[in-house]
Amino acid sequence: MAFEPNEPQEKIKYDEMRIYSDEELNNYTEEELKNFKTKHDTPMCDDLESGPWPSFVADAKREALHRRKLADDRILLSAETVEDTLGQLEDSFVDGETHWKHGGIVGVFGYGGGVIGRYSDLQEKYPAVAHFHTLRVNQPMSKFYNTDFLRTICDLWEYRGSGMMNMHGSTGDIILLGTTTEQLEPIFYQMTHEMQQDLGGSGSNLRSPSCCLGRARCEWSCIDTQDMCYELTHYYQDELHRPAFPYKFKFKFDGCPNGCVASIARSDMSFIGTWKDDIRIDQDAVQAYIAGDIAPNGGAHAGKDWGKFDIQKEVINLCPTACMWMEDGKLMIDNKECTRCMHCINTMPQALRPGADTGVSILFGAKAPILEGAQMAVLTVPFMKCEPPYENIKDLVEKVWDWWMEEGKNRERLGELIQRWGLPKFLEVIGLPPMPQMVTEPRSNPYIFWKAEEVPGGFKRNIEDYRVKHMR
Amino acid sequence: MEDIRNAILEFAEKSKKSKFYFSDMEKAVKKVIPDVKARMVKKAATSLINEEKLIYFSTGSTTMYGLKGKGQTEDH
Ligand code: HEM
Ligand code: HEM
Ligand code: SF4
Ligand code: SF4
Repeated sequence: MAFEPNEPQEKIKYDEMRIYSDEELNNYTEEELKNFKTKHDTPMCDDLESGPWPSFVADAKREALHRRKLADDRILLSAETVEDTLGQLEDSFVDGETHWKHGGIVGVFGYGGGVIGRYSDLQEKYPAVAHFHTLRVNQPMSKFYNTDFLRTICDLWEYRGSGMMNMHGSTGDIILLGTTTEQLEPIFYQMTHEMQQDLGGSGSNLRSPSCCLGRARCEWSCIDTQDMCYELTHYYQDELHRPAFPYKFKFKFDGCPNGCVASIARSDMSFIGTWKDDIRIDQDAVQAYIAGDIAPNGGAHAGKDWGKFDIQKEVINLCPTACMWMEDGKLMIDNKECTRCMHCINTMPQALRPGADTGVSILFGAKAPILEGAQMAVLTVPFMKCEPPYENIKDLVEKVWDWWMEEGKNRERLGELIQRWGLPKFLEVIGLPPMPQMVTEPRSNPYIFWKAEEVPGGFKRNIEDYRVKHMR
Repeated sequence: MEDIRNAILEFAEKSKKSKFYFSDMEKAVKKVIPDVKARMVKKAATSLINEEKLIYFSTGSTTMYGLKGKGQTEDH
């Protein structure tokens, strides 16, 4: 199905939007960069450049030189934003603590998220970063954008911000690092009115939903992750921009259990594409893999000679539920035992494909708080159909939010609330019967307390009689 | 709607703290209007924000509400 935007979209043309000329964009030589000394001595930052990977410190120095060489009236913030950032970072390494002060009232009109107030606590030493607010920009679905868009954003941020950005924050947003309060509204205006680009979520909001490449690029996608993410982002605009939750809330959409956006670990409500019928098998292609005519894993891991492909060793014996075997030269799968681990499909993509009757599994409660440690999401809805306009999904979302807003303590994530009340209570809230698939392993969460009306014939029991002998 | 808005403003003025969580504001409104729904409290609070009577205060991870003019209001 072709993509249809909710409102007409204009094509952004960098040549019409650009602020800087080519000469300004390429305003220093590699020779100048080599000899460039930043304003502050930063030996510990410099050390980060010595590792095998490209370093943000090297990028920052390029940007620092670039800003120095732009004319004063071609940037609205100080030319030294980047150098002061590095200087302050060096002090943080030395002191073992951050020098950013958190929080504030900064924001754009009517939005309770998207801008995060940050101030230096070393303002005299680093005046260029005294006020250094972060903006979150809601990334397009699957982060598909063209260079016209990116260059326009970069020019805008060079002109009205520090010039430093982060592609992307772990929520998915493009992070614009550091500007002053008076630049916020002009940036917001240009993004929304001229680039049709919204800010993302922060604070006690729905955070910018994010999704994997999905059907745009990946044949395994069991759901249209981009469409779903786009629809829910638009549908829940109020939740994205006007905070009233106990804490943050994240949606993420993986098209299949490979989980390329790791929704299972990083979202309060994780959607993972799955199938209800059987893995589709092309037995001729299975034979071609066995004969060595097709490279396993799509030709990945080819840097080393692993020997001849051995289907028994590399696929059948590695199936976590031992539900595959060969019979009369044919690959067989006992599909009701398959846990959708994707291993066999990943290894032999031309022979095996996910089933055709697709939908989502929905998991709840992942979080990664700094103090208490990470928690993975719990499988709660083993299978749900998932078609536009996703009414069934929205119903579920709203049941969950109503409960969490009612019962959640301040700064309590959904996963913590589910733990505090127990999974049976959560199932009652969303109206699902308990199912074996919800049990991670025997004896980890087996306690389902039945009520009389849930048992055929009910039961008669006087709790008072019981308490005579068994006091609390 | 007007009664919810008034209840919010009254709570914001009387509150000892200059910044408070949404749920505390909601509880205060519930004391005055017991059958009020969270969604309505949110709508009323949003309208007060848009009239610049209330402000958002965000640390980045959580958001609180405050009365404009009370406590810290501008950049520090
Ligand atoms: C042929 C006889 C028996 C069989 C086959 C049997 C089997 C079992 C099994 C399979 C469990 C669950 C184990 C687990 O996964 O935790 C269990 C638990 C238990 N059984 Fe037995 N059982 C037998 C006799 C008895 C007797 C005679 C008693 C008491 C006098 C007893 C007391 C218990 C208790 C208290 C538990 C719960 C242990 C716990 O999880 O804390 N069983 N039994
Ligand atoms: C001084 C004597 C005893 C002490 C200090 C003691 C202590 C305990 C403790 C601390 C537990 C764990 C409770 C829990 O965390 O759920 C327990 C469980 C248990 N005890 Fe004892 N116990 C004693 C005698 C007995 C006797 C005589 C029996 C059986 C006739 C017995 C049967 C059991 C059983 C079946 C459980 C497991 C209950 C369950 O699986 O929920 N205990 N005991
Ligand atoms: S999560 Fe699955 S469907 Fe999405 S890109 Fe990764 S492998 Fe493809
Ligand atoms: S997907 Fe995983 S569990 Fe299912 S048959 Fe393949 S290897 Fe086994």
